[in-house]
Amino acid sequence: MIATIKSLLSGAARQCEHWLQQGKRPYAFTCVYLALGTASVFFSPRSLIAFIFFLSTALVVYYLKMDSRFKLALAGFALLVLVPIVGIRNIFYLEVIFQISVFTALALGLNIVVGFAGLLDLGYVAFYAVGAYLWAFFGSQQPYLLHYIPGTAPPGTPFFLPADMFYLFAFLAVIVAAFTGIILGLPVLRLRGDYLAIVTLGFGEVIRVLANNLDKPLNFTNGPQGITPIQRPSLPEPLRNALSAILDPLVQHPVSEGDFYNLYFYLAALFVVVVVIVVATRLDNSKIGRAWTAIREDEMAAVAMGVPLVRMKLLAFAAGASFAGVMGVLFAASRTFVSPESFSFMQSIGVLSMVILGGLGSIPGVILGATVVIILNLQVLMGLSLYLSQLRQSDAVIPIINFAWKNLSTQLDPAKYQRMLFGIILVLMMIYRPAGLIPAERRKRELSTHDPENSGSRSEAAPEPPEDADAPA
Amino acid sequence: MPLLETIGVTKRFGGLVAVAEMDFAIEEGAIYSIIGPNGAGKTTFFNTLTGIYQPDDGRILFEGNSLLGLRPDQINARAIARTFQNIRLFGGMTVSENIRVGMHQRLGQTMLGALLRTRAFLKEEDRALTKAHQMINYVGLQGCADELASNLPYGAQRRIEIARALASEPKLLLLDEPTAGMNPNESREAMLLFQRLRDDLGITILLIEHDMRVVMTISDRITVMDYGQKIAEGLPAEIRSNSRVIEAYLGRGAATENIMVG
Amino acid sequence: MRRFYESAALRELLRPLGQIAVFVTVSSAVLSILILFLAFLLRGTAVNQLTLSHYKVDIFFYTLQNLPQVLIDGVTLGFVYAAIALGYTMVYGVLEFINFAHSEIFAIGAFVGVELLIALAKAGQLSSIPLWGAYAWLALAIVVAMVFAGAMATLMEMTAYRPLRGAPRLVPLISAIGVSFFLQDAIRLVESLTTGQFHRIIPTFGNFDQRLSIGRFSIGATTLSVNMQYKSIVVIVAAVMMLMLLNYLVNATKMGMAIRAVAQDRPTASLMGINVNRYITLTFLVGGALGGAAGVLYALKFTRIDPFVGFFPGLKAFAAAVLGGIGNLTGALLGGIVLGLLETFAGSYLSVFTMGAFGAEYKDILAFGILIVVLIFRPAGLLGEQVEQKA
Repeated sequence: MIATIKSLLSGAARQCEHWLQQGKRPYAFTCVYLALGTASVFFSPRSLIAFIFFLSTALVVYYLKMDSRFKLALAGFALLVLVPIVGIRNIFYLEVIFQISVFTALALGLNIVVGFAGLLDLGYVAFYAVGAYLWAFFGSQQPYLLHYIPGTAPPGTPFFLPADMFYLFAFLAVIVAAFTGIILGLPVLRLRGDYLAIVTLGFGEVIRVLANNLDKPLNFTNGPQGITPIQRPSLPEPLRNALSAILDPLVQHPVSEGDFYNLYFYLAALFVVVVVIVVATRLDNSKIGRAWTAIREDEMAAVAMGVPLVRMKLLAFAAGASFAGVMGVLFAASRTFVSPESFSFMQSIGVLSMVILGGLGSIPGVILGATVVIILNLQVLMGLSLYLSQLRQSDAVIPIINFAWKNLSTQLDPAKYQRMLFGIILVLMMIYRPAGLIPAERRKRELSTHDPENSGSRSEAAPEPPEDADAPA
Repeated sequence: MPLLETIGVTKRFGGLVAVAEMDFAIEEGAIYSIIGPNGAGKTTFFNTLTGIYQPDDGRILFEGNSLLGLRPDQINARAIARTFQNIRLFGGMTVSENIRVGMHQRLGQTMLGALLRTRAFLKEEDRALTKAHQMINYVGLQGCADELASNLPYGAQRRIEIARALASEPKLLLLDEPTAGMNPNESREAMLLFQRLRDDLGITILLIEHDMRVVMTISDRITVMDYGQKIAEGLPAEIRSNSRVIEAYLGRGAATENIMVG
Repeated sequence: MRRFYESAALRELLRPLGQIAVFVTVSSAVLSILILFLAFLLRGTAVNQLTLSHYKVDIFFYTLQNLPQVLIDGVTLGFVYAAIALGYTMVYGVLEFINFAHSEIFAIGAFVGVELLIALAKAGQLSSIPLWGAYAWLALAIVVAMVFAGAMATLMEMTAYRPLRGAPRLVPLISAIGVSFFLQDAIRLVESLTTGQFHRIIPTFGNFDQRLSIGRFSIGATTLSVNMQYKSIVVIVAAVMMLMLLNYLVNATKMGMAIRAVAQDRPTASLMGINVNRYITLTFLVGGALGGAAGVLYALKFTRIDPFVGFFPGLKAFAAAVLGGIGNLTGALLGGIVLGLLETFAGSYLSVFTMGAFGAEYKDILAFGILIVVLIFRPAGLLGEQVEQKA
């Protein structure tokens, strides 16, 4: 095993030298960066900085000028090989990366609604809930428990469906969620932007209240307690054994079933993310994408040019909803438990803040936004929490005001302060950088200067501009 | 049969009667102008023709079929296109993209086709690009295809709007003050363009205009509106000497002096 | 003095009283008749069996028995909503902007008032005081809350909204959502640091929890005794006073005229010499102060508050404002009362009328249902004008 790694490394080193000789510095740089990042996470599994270093390779790959096939290949290798290894070594990282993929898919779905079509949907979590409860209901014992009050389920109730129906339901969720999107969208898409926002917020809350209360007269959702256990699809034995053989020596501890499921769901979420990216990009580069941008820029001009407003808006809504639906099924299966708490307004705003932080309408931006917010949430905030509890257990004292950390109320737990985080992100981004961290392609062109080769021919076509060259809006 | 006909069209906003009992007809293949002082209801009339407002009274017939109750995109599908008084381009899109939006009703793309990148879809995308380039060249904006629309000067933007309207293959083109803000050179080029549209492409044109030189030169027929009503209609020479028209623009005193020269 | 009596000013001060009387009476009457009619229709059904077995009366009498209390509670709640809705509708009228964070202004007012009263209670100032003392302390709590809330609203406007004044409509809305979320956790932070508690309970003092007996009626074999807690009376009186003062301010003072001018046509108002920014800030100040007062009244009525107390009442009050006609002060009043009544009716009767299939918890989403229906079928609300946008 070690020998294989050694030969791989020396092969890579030789390739890097080769590139440097050819003057292809970015390629060598990226590979070295990735190797260093992986190594640092591998050898210091508890270090947040190492983890961020590792993840920042993505930015390096994105920004440096290299052949796109190379970029894809490297990204594929990193995501399919390196991340699982790193993740299994420190299972918490796999959890973080899983959450990043789930929320990236959600944010990309919301991006279609908000970023492409310009519809501010504040109740996006409703579609996530629909997907989650779809599998939660059919993939558990709940269909047999319709007449049982929550908490009185008899032991030994069988599961309603075989666990591998999960795949069918992942597919069904697309349709069910899209359908829900259309039903919710039809009455409200004629509304103006801010009213639409409030009404979609209302829908999100309605779904949550329904989830909380549909335990009578028939027990569909099991009320506030939620539904558990929910089945996960089966992992084939031979595959498990093969992976175990490779991974056990690498991570120096036996890989448990839980770990494998984490890995599986990470890969499933990754698959959905890739599909969403492909769908979003393809739709964007079609008359549908152009129609969405037109609607976002100027609805009246768009409709005068023949863009059917309601149909296009419904399409955006349905597309965004279907992705949330699929992720809901994945989420339910990976947690084996759903409850109405996971589908609150705060979650909708969390996803919205990811889109806004990253860049409305920008796919790489949204991925970055999701990553940053999850890391801030899970790691930074939680890190602060841990640090604070350490301080509480010590005898340390805040200087100047001489207040003992011990006496600080246990209510003060940074990990719970997600709303403050989301709020700060939203306000600061709107004031200082509304286009996001990585603005969408179209907006970048606003800042580009004219190409000198073209201006010659253009000046024949466009005569001297009159004095009021600034076009009235 | 006239191409477009309105009978008794009225539009009210609360107590204000913006358009009052407009009887109006256009024959195919001609250039018509609607003129009148500011606030006469010309743009409101356009808006009722294109479905942005629904008239409170009256009928609108295009090629013999009623347009009442239709949405603007449905009216566009019937081959009526328009431009706006204040330019309403999609500033964040390129010139080519703007024009391709105009083709929305004419492109046969489906969502499935877009997702699977079928041959039919790619052919339509290609056709859209080609047509957009054709339009760009036709209005004289060669080389600007990938420029951001908001980066271009005013005169160019007016032409992009016209190209975008043309992209929907209209039979009737409604232009709302197309030469506003243009210098005499640009106006002259615009006039030639409108005539080419009629002669080469057989498009019927209805203009709202304030530039009398343009109106008098290219119009086959002129309608004059004031306070929402039609106060005169006829050939340019007739309108030029119509005292009611002069009075509407310049007040009663001016009506006695024949000062409208073309 | 005589001129005041005859002047428009007095008329503006008293007009809300007339409106309130009409709204309350009409809404109560309509809803009461509807619910009694419904109960009458359900007499022959299984619902009736349920009430007979549980409450020993048939559905009609059950409905009738509870009606007076439901009406009183509904009107009280309605006034709370109306008070909050005023803040939303004022800002919307001037800026066409939904101040999403108004719900947190409400919460801040509630916390300031409650903390002040708790501090007074700890200092022994609230026990064994004369009745007028209790009312005085309550009034002080309300005033202090108004000052804080108004200041907070002004600060909010200057930092988070003014920089975005010219931006497309959704941008300040997103900023407002951000401010709302930020403030929710900010309140939580301050409370954690100072008191270490999540919930805060208003201290009991004065006669607020005691009940005033309004009357006894005999219907058939049963006698109903109708009573009302003094705190409900306080809430209603305080809300009515706020409405009167606000109406006076907006319709009979120079400041109010300036605000109305800015609301109708900002550029022209500016050309007439009105400092637009100053009056916008003033609108936020007044709206915020009202929200803060509403917070204390809410705390008085419902006794328990937490940092997230603003979310639901805020949204419901917004729905009320839309129902009545957003931008319209009278509309906020009407919408608040109607919503308060509807919600209380739903809370009391829904469970019984549907035999437990739909519990009282569904009343919380009633407001959203109303919002959606109003925006689809009559976006201008009950009292708004149908204004078609000029293209």
